[in-house]
Amino acid sequence: MNVAIRADREGNHARLVPIGSFDLAHAMAVARAVEDSEASLSGCVSVDVDLAQLDRIDGAGAVLLARLFDRLDASGRHARVMEGPNREAARLIARYRARRRDLPVRQTRVTNPLTLVGTLAADVPAKASEALDFTGRCVAAVPKAASTPSSVDWRSLPRLVQDIGADALPVTGAANLLIGVIFGFLGVSQLGPFGQVSSVPGLVVVAHFRELGPLVTAMVMAGRSGAGLASEVATMKVTEEIDALRSLGFDPVRWLVVPRCLALAATLPILTWIGDLLALAGGLAATTLITDMTSHSYIEAATNHITAANVLVGLVKTPFLALAIGLIACGQGLATRGGAAAVGSQTTVAVVQSLLSVIAISAVFTFLFALIGI
Amino acid sequence: MRLPRPHITVNDLRVGWGTRVLLEHVSFEIERGTIFAILGGSGSGKSTLLRYLIGLEQPQTGRIEIDRVGEPHRYEGVPPFGVLFQSGALFSSMTLAENLALPLTRWTPITGATARELVQAKLELVGLGPFAEHLPGEISGGMKKRAGIARALMLEADLLFFDEPSAGLDPISAVELDQLIITLSQDLGITIVIVTHELPSIFLVANHCILLDAAAKGVVAEGDPRKLRDESKIPFVHNFFTRSAPGPSAHQGG
Repeated sequence: MNVAIRADREGNHARLVPIGSFDLAHAMAVARAVEDSEASLSGCVSVDVDLAQLDRIDGAGAVLLARLFDRLDASGRHARVMEGPNREAARLIARYRARRRDLPVRQTRVTNPLTLVGTLAADVPAKASEALDFTGRCVAAVPKAASTPSSVDWRSLPRLVQDIGADALPVTGAANLLIGVIFGFLGVSQLGPFGQVSSVPGLVVVAHFRELGPLVTAMVMAGRSGAGLASEVATMKVTEEIDALRSLGFDPVRWLVVPRCLALAATLPILTWIGDLLALAGGLAATTLITDMTSHSYIEAATNHITAANVLVGLVKTPFLALAIGLIACGQGLATRGGAAAVGSQTTVAVVQSLLSVIAISAVFTFLFALIGI
Repeated sequence: MRLPRPHITVNDLRVGWGTRVLLEHVSFEIERGTIFAILGGSGSGKSTLLRYLIGLEQPQTGRIEIDRVGEPHRYEGVPPFGVLFQSGALFSSMTLAENLALPLTRWTPITGATARELVQAKLELVGLGPFAEHLPGEISGGMKKRAGIARALMLEADLLFFDEPSAGLDPISAVELDQLIITLSQDLGITIVIVTHELPSIFLVANHCILLDAAAKGVVAEGDPRKLRDESKIPFVHNFFTRSAPGPSAHQGG
C-alpha cells in the first residue's frame, strides 16, 4: 500500500493531502512522507490539510500527523484541518495534539566521567556510615534478641542450618578435597627433587588447616549461601514483606538477620573442619598415587603436624568469616530499593563484598597470629 | 441487517486450576467498542478468567473466540490486544520510554526518531510526558499503572484488558484512571475489558458487566451495572452492588 502526502502549492498557500494507510504498519513510510511534505512547504504562510483521502488511520499515524501540525504551528504557518468525511481521523489527531501541552522535562543523567568519579567518591562516606550503622544495629540486636526471644524467628533456624549449612557440604567438601589433591601434587613436584616427599603431609596440614581450609570454605559459602541469603532478603524487601514485618512491630534485623548469622556461624566451623579432613584425604590420594609413600606413613607424618595450634588457628576465625558473610548478605538485601533488577544487582554487590571481606579478614588473622608468634 | 460480530465470544467455559473448578458454564459476549466489566468478590475467579481471555491458560472445556484473532491461546504473531497487569508489570531495569519502545522493537521495523515520537505521544496521552527517562521504581503506583496502559497501547490494538486498574490507588488517581479509560474507549474506539471490584469505578465507566460468584461457580448476573444495582431481585447481586452484608436469607437465594 502506498503512503504519501501530496502537496499542492498555490503561491504562498499549500494544501496537503495524506493518501493511504497512516497506521503502525506503515509508520516508517508515514514518517518519511511527513518529512518530505514539510520540505516542500518552504515559503508557505498557510497550510490546509485534507483528510478525505486517508484510507485508514490509527494512533501511530495520528501521532506523526499531530507532530507535523505542531511544527507547522510553531513555525507560524497556520495549519487548518479539512476533515471532510473523515471526522474520526480529525478527532484522533486532535487527541494527540491536545496532550502536547505538558512539554517533556528531560531528566539529565550523569554521563561525564569526572562527574561520575565525583558522584562515586561523594557516596563513600554515606555508604561507610550506612555499613557501620547496620553493623551497630546488628550488635545492638543481640542483647535485645536474648532478652525478648519472641522477637527472633527461631522456628526458621533448623531450616536455615539445613539450607545454609548442611546442603552446602557437597560443594565445600568437593572444593576442599580438590585443594588437598592440588597441594599433594604440588608438594610432590616441588619438594620431590630435594628428597622431601615426607614433608608433603606436613605442608598439606599446615597450609590447609591454618589458612586454606577456612578461606576456601568461606569463599564457597559466600558465593553459594551469601547469594541465596541476599536475594531472599532483597526479594522480601521489594515485595514489601520487610515493611510488613516492621508494621507488625518486628525488627527485621532481629527477626531475619540474627537467625541467619547464627546459622552461618554455627555451620561454617563444622564445614571447615570436615573440609580439612577431606583435604587431608585428597593430599593422601595424590601423594600415594605418584610416590612410594604408603598411606600409613602419610597419616603418621600428617598426625605429627595436626597440633592444637594448627587446628585452632584455622577454626577460630571461621565464626568471624561467617558473620561477615551473613551481615553483608542481609545488609545488602535490606538496602535493596526498586524492583527485580535491584535484587540482582544487590545480590552481586553482596557476593563481591563478602568474598573480598572474607579474604581481608583471613589476612588480618594471619597477620595477628604472626605477630604473636603462633 | 446483519448485526456486527461481538469482539469476544465466550462459550460454556470452565475455569479452574488442575482439578479445582472455580467457574463452570461461563458464556458471554463482549460488543466491539464497549467497556465491559468482569465483577466478583475476592476468590471468585475473575483474575483467573482474565488469564484465559488473554490466552495465558488453555480452556479444558468451552471456547473463547476473539473476532479476527480466533482462540487467544493459539494465537501467534503481533499481540492483538494490550494487557494492563495489576501492578503495572513494568520492567524495572528499563526507563518508561524503554518499556514502551519494547513492543515496537519486537514487532515493528520502527526505529529512531519515529519510535521516540510514538513513545513520547503515548506517554503524553496518559499524562506521563515528563517522566520518559524515569525508572519504574522512581514513580508512584498510579503512574506505573498509567505507564502500563501506555505500553499496552503501543501496538495500536483495538482491545485492552485491565486487571484491577484502580486497586490500591487514591480516589483522585482512580478517577483520573477511569477518565483515561473512558477517553480510550470513546476517542480511540477501543474495546476495554476490566476486571475489578471497585464499585464507583464500575458505575462510572462500564457499559456492561458480568458478576461472578464463587459459591455459585459461575455468572450470577449480566447487564448494565446501574440497572443491576437498581433492579436486581437476586440477594447476592443486590448486596454486591449496594455494598450491604448478606442478610439471613441471602445464602438461600444466592
